[in-house]
Amino acid sequence: MKLPALTLNQKLAAVVLVLGALALFSTPHRGPVVTLDTLELALIVEKEVDHVTPSELAGWIVQGRSDFRLIDLRAESDYATYHIPTAENVTVAALPEFPLLRTEKIVLYSDGGIHAAQAWMLMQAQGYRAVYTVLGGLEGWKDEVLYPALPAQASALDRARFERAAAVARFFGGEPRAEGGAAAPAPRELPRLAAPAPSGAASPAAPRKKKKEGC
Amino acid sequence: MAPFYKYGFFGDEMSLVLAFVLGTGFGFFLERAGFGSARKLAAQFYLYDMSVFKVMFTAIVTALLGVTYLGWIGWLDLSLVYLVPTYLVPQIVGGLVLGVGFVVGGYCPGTSVAALATGRIDGFVYAGGIGAGTLAYAEVYPWIKGFVNSNAMGQVTLPEVLHLPWGIIVFAVVVIAVAGFSAAALIERRFGDKP
Repeated sequence: MKLPALTLNQKLAAVVLVLGALALFSTPHRGPVVTLDTLELALIVEKEVDHVTPSELAGWIVQGRSDFRLIDLRAESDYATYHIPTAENVTVAALPEFPLLRTEKIVLYSDGGIHAAQAWMLMQAQGYRAVYTVLGGLEGWKDEVLYPALPAQASALDRARFERAAAVARFFGGEPRAEGGAAAPAPRELPRLAAPAPSGAASPAAPRKKKKEGC
Repeated sequence: MAPFYKYGFFGDEMSLVLAFVLGTGFGFFLERAGFGSARKLAAQFYLYDMSVFKVMFTAIVTALLGVTYLGWIGWLDLSLVYLVPTYLVPQIVGGLVLGVGFVVGGYCPGTSVAALATGRIDGFVYAGGIGAGTLAYAEVYPWIKGFVNSNAMGQVTLPEVLHLPWGIIVFAVVVIAVAGFSAAALIERRFGDKP
């Protein structure tokens, strides 16, 4: 090869300039068209890795974590009546237009879970990857977080867990169900929206202390 | 398809293992580039030796081109790559604080760990300083919280802020890098104390 005598650095500079010039024509961002790998999606569904349990979510909120967006998919009026603290209200129809980044962790919930699951699929189709649904939806949240119950014939471990859950329930303005009282499903009033103050400053000490003990 | 983590090729535990492997590799190459020595690093600021500039800019250009081409051929989904959110003024102030620490201490956080790993006492002291500084920062955080969170711009990129196509920015950075390397060579010839 009869190239002018270039030093290694000059050759590297030439290569990098060529690559840079070619990159002028690059379109490295993929457009709105997404190829869905149905097998992959099916596996996600089967392994249930797309779920966040209500207790996990409660833990995140108590800790004041801000690395996820919580989306309430219900109607505005339902949202106004009660929603999980820190949730943003977006209906399924409004979801495609809602400014969410594809790098964000997104947690969806609806009343039961069907709308959330459907919205999950829609978001997959738009290339959102880190999308999760709250297991059992708002109903699951009520059962597990707001009004936890002690199972009949509870072991010591169950009792300890219940104690913790009760502290978390009170944090969110709910109340634990009376011991062994799974059979008393009196219609409960949902906590007032003002009651649970999720973000950092004003959080009551109880659940936090629990956390610290855990460490 | 990458990012592997976002596509679920491995989970949280594995990501920590990989972080360890990558971090060790990073440290190894920092050390091999001579950055385990505070003298070499400080020389950058006295303009004797532009290695820091050259190594870092090489890394930037390599990563930039790699990410661009991987995205172009569809192996990497750029919209899933995490970007550190921009807080313009706080980050400029933070950069200046880091710069002062760099000149005074002779290390940046990463190179101090590389120095520590090779058993240098100054690296050890520096890493201790990082720990103490982190604790002190956590203590004063409530007072400076407002400033730290000011100028929030979210996860933005230069093409978005400057309203220019991605390719133009890539080319511009490459040209700046090549020009910078030539300038660095000139500066070294002028100030370097090479025989």
